[in-house]
Amino acid sequence: MIPTLLGITLVVFTVMAASPGGLSVQNLVDTQGLEPEARKALEDYYNKRYGLDQPAPVQYLKWLNNISPAGFTFDESDEIDGFSLVKGSDLGTSFIYGRPVTELLKERVPITLLLNLISIPIIYLIAITVGVRAATKRGETFDVGSGFIMLGLWSVPTMLAGVLLMGYFSNDQYWHYFPTSGLSYREAHDMPFMPHWSNGFEPIKLLFSILLGAFLFIMFSAKANRRVRATGMAVLGLVLGAWLASNMAGESGWVTITLIALFLTGIFYVLGDMEYDSFRTLTMGLLGMFLGALVAGLTLEGEFVRGFMLDRIWHLVLPIICFTYGGFAFLSKLSRTSVLENLLSDYARTARAKGVSEKDVLWRHVFRNSLLPLITVSAALLPSLLGGSVIVESIFSIDGMGKLGVEAVKLKDRELVLSITLISGILTLIGYLIADIFYALADPRISYD
Amino acid sequence: MTELTTKTNSGYAKSVLKNTFSQISARIGFYWIAAVALLAIFAPFIANSHPYLMKTTDGISSPLLQHLIPADVIIIVIFITVIVLYFLKKNLAFNVLALLTVLVVSTILSFALIKPPQLVVYEKYREMERNNQLEWVVNAPIPYSAKDYLRDYGETGMEQPLADDKRNHWFGTEQSGADVLSRMIHACRIALGIGFVATGIAMLIGVILGGLMGYFSGIVDMLGMRLVEIFEAIPTLFLLLTFVAFFGSSLYLMMVIIGLTTWPGYARFVRAEYLKLRRMDYVQSAIACGLPLRSILFRHMLPNGIAPVLVAASFGVASAILFEATLSFLGLGLVDNPSWGQMLNQAVQSASFYWWMAFFPGGAIFFTVFAYNLMGESLRDAIDPYLKKKT
Repeated sequence: MIPTLLGITLVVFTVMAASPGGLSVQNLVDTQGLEPEARKALEDYYNKRYGLDQPAPVQYLKWLNNISPAGFTFDESDEIDGFSLVKGSDLGTSFIYGRPVTELLKERVPITLLLNLISIPIIYLIAITVGVRAATKRGETFDVGSGFIMLGLWSVPTMLAGVLLMGYFSNDQYWHYFPTSGLSYREAHDMPFMPHWSNGFEPIKLLFSILLGAFLFIMFSAKANRRVRATGMAVLGLVLGAWLASNMAGESGWVTITLIALFLTGIFYVLGDMEYDSFRTLTMGLLGMFLGALVAGLTLEGEFVRGFMLDRIWHLVLPIICFTYGGFAFLSKLSRTSVLENLLSDYARTARAKGVSEKDVLWRHVFRNSLLPLITVSAALLPSLLGGSVIVESIFSIDGMGKLGVEAVKLKDRELVLSITLISGILTLIGYLIADIFYALADPRISYD
Repeated sequence: MTELTTKTNSGYAKSVLKNTFSQISARIGFYWIAAVALLAIFAPFIANSHPYLMKTTDGISSPLLQHLIPADVIIIVIFITVIVLYFLKKNLAFNVLALLTVLVVSTILSFALIKPPQLVVYEKYREMERNNQLEWVVNAPIPYSAKDYLRDYGETGMEQPLADDKRNHWFGTEQSGADVLSRMIHACRIALGIGFVATGIAMLIGVILGGLMGYFSGIVDMLGMRLVEIFEAIPTLFLLLTFVAFFGSSLYLMMVIIGLTTWPGYARFVRAEYLKLRRMDYVQSAIACGLPLRSILFRHMLPNGIAPVLVAASFGVASAILFEATLSFLGLGLVDNPSWGQMLNQAVQSASFYWWMAFFPGGAIFFTVFAYNLMGESLRDAIDPYLKKKT
């Protein structure tokens, strides 16, 4: 682990040092428009503070010495005056912020981790649900359709998805349903954590209507026959679409209204028509809950305080969508292949031959084996999510590690770039470690001696 | 003997290609890429402020031809050569050699002979037309260049598609007033060029390093794999950002940089294949014959181990295009030159949302990436015999 971390920082450091201009004060610090004397003073200050006038290898070794918990100590005139085992590690001070990097990272890393930790379960849940179904119904409409849609989703650039979601759903030109930027409103910090009402009757009404909505939709999904279901859902889609379109800010021509209504009608029709019972019931249940909450929300009375949690969730919806769709699109294809491979294998045939039901073959025998490639990929998923956070955080102006990274490289902040590399390297390696542990859990034959 | 091997080889390649393109999705992807490639090659003839032909008091002239830059000419010459070579049906070595010769000769000739005017004034034709100095004029289908900011129309900037009756901007205009469609057509070159060259560089590094790792195994393999792990543990996008921020962003540099940061995947694939192949009889006999390492690695082993790399490459082209778009989107891409990502960046600015800047360039990125992914998917299905066998 340690050699890999060293290698990672060395690669990034080499990139910075080998660039034209290198790690010199003239290249890193913007001194334009200063008097010659002031410029000289500023350059001297940076040279003394960060050792930018020293050769690159020395700079790197000094940085390493700084971050390692045990190492050499320096006296006033920058000479080595001793070796200490407990000098403590220090990530240095950022050029652009003028604050200790540790402090900055303490603010930023939890935000990026929050985004990642919410995304990963969602990615795996959707990927496995879709992938297993596609593999068992090989060659049928669901398989072909989901394969095509997932490949399409995988090809959508994150920034396009982010720009479209933001443009349509958090902009006052269209639907201003979601906040434009950040992770919470300033006033939310003064709110209590949970939402609450001035009037005690309202939450009961809300709860009741959510439950009623869920119940109605689940019953509809379970009991009604396919044609009724599809038609009902299509009508619902039409109504919802028309309502959405007429709710749009600004002028909306009939073409837009028709298009939106037809789009929703199509999606809802496909959902109602779907033969994948558990998926359909789950989705329709969630839809029912949502509609119930909507109806109750429209008739709510009394003062309502959103609370910190709800505010945070509200801010997180669009970024999380951007974060997850690419991942589950890729993983659902992978899980389809892996389940399919195992379903066609000899041991699955043996199990079937001795009379195990198809359901048990799938969930007891095949499923666990097909998890292995998914776990392998999870190790690579974390770096790609960290990379994705660069884009998502820039679009939604979330002050996380990704945005900090972009700022750091744009302004050529040596300490910050190296520290972010180090932290993301550590996170990635932790991801590898967790993947190894899950590997052993999923397959008892694997052991790490 | 050589005759035989090449025959079987091309037979396998042919059957894989046939299987790949027998799927409709792969064909659709191929057609899209072909269309984008044609747009890229003929970009100056499709979208240009300079008219094809015009007649003034000085006589007939063709400003468009006068303003072609050497790169335009080279691209077109290469395109014609490829077409000619395709119909000649010679062997691969001849084709590569001919292509390289034409490339070098045309580059030298065009840089020596073609001297386009340094100062380009796009507005002058429109002004001449307004002042009735032109007797007749034949314009390009889209009469706006990528960098024609329409200064003669005053303050232009973000305009909806077809907002103005006097000017036909099918896809609207961007921030500084240039025609979006024209910029998108000119950006095809950058997207395709970056995709191919960056993937080519990555593949080259990956094949050489992965090949050495797989062939020698042991300590070389161990060291190489640590290197691969190091590169895989850095988020690629972040490494790219660092590279571009410190080295500056020119087109060619960007290609090299994307290639330098995405090779580990290819190295992994090649290594895995070579580890399998090195114990094969034909490799052992090649070693026993005393063939040089270069010949064993690339002539004997590579054709048998290249299949998974090709699949990865077709996804790799897609991701290289995405990387370029992302860099431009984050404001670290090419400055003045048109790029899809940079246009997409203008879609959401200062609380306003310009839908045409999101849909058209974003759609172009999406469809191109989708096309490559479709082809990659089909290629993988054609190469991977495992699932097919069990059908």
